Amino acid sequence: MPMFQSLHISASALTAERLRMDVISSNIANVDTTRARFVNGEWEPYRRKVVVIEPRGEQFSSYLQAALGRTGAVGNGVRVREITDDPAPFKLVYDPDHPDAGADGYVRLPNVDPLKEMVDLIGATRSYEANVTALNASKGMLMKALEIGK
Amino acid sequence: MSLFSSTIHWLEQGLRYASLRQQAIADNIANADTPGYKAKDVRFQAELDRALQLEAKRTDPSHFPFRNEQNGKIIVTTNANISYNHNGNSVDIDQEMSKLAENQIYYNALIERINGKFNTLKTVIKGGK
Repeated sequence: MPMFQSLHISASALTAERLRMDVISSNIANVDTTRARFVNGEWEPYRRKVVVIEPRGEQFSSYLQAALGRTGAVGNGVRVREITDDPAPFKLVYDPDHPDAGADGYVRLPNVDPLKEMVDLIGATRSYEANVTALNASKGMLMKALEIGK
Repeated sequence: MSLFSSTIHWLEQGLRYASLRQQAIADNIANADTPGYKAKDVRFQAELDRALQLEAKRTDPSHFPFRNEQNGKIIVTTNANISYNHNGNSVDIDQEMSKLAENQIYYNALIERINGKFNTLKTVIKGGK
């Protein structure tokens, strides 16, 4: 059983949560971006990005240990599988003076809802804090293990 | 009779269990936002009790002992039936955090005990000096 596995598990979650925060920041920063991509001679607004996370599977060694009847198989933390675009439709706002307004006077704005982003941001922050607590607990236990026999 | 009684062995088993449980809790907290993830837990105590009970009487010393493997088995369980979240996640973060604290104290207690055991041996070896 790897000694520092619990630290690595928490660290993987810290990485994932930080990436989530980065993506949320990007979404909030681009809340008014109308020229994100040039598609077929036309500017397309920014699309909201979503982080897809998945559990990192058990390693072979933990399955082997489980098969030998020593210990069970525990997961290996979390990882980001991909960053996808939110397919939700763009917001339409009537603003004929805008340079990117269509012939009907409507401007397509990104499908970013700042309220939703703020809620996600709070969620990511809290998860990050919980993982820092878990990391500190693991660290404390390992430090305590060094005291055996002293 | 061996110098180190079986107490140290059982304490070591307990430490193994506690560090595996720490891994499971860390994994649950890490996956608190992962869709479809089911919380894991580590069980040991019941298996330990059963392992301690199973000691067969040997009529001949060359017989294999009934309990040839002194390892209490540690098993990882997953409860797939609960969902606390709309995305199929079953991690109860409050429960995980309290389990984290509990496991930490349990681990530290085991370390204290194993240290006490070694100190006792040290006292004996030094002849009480």
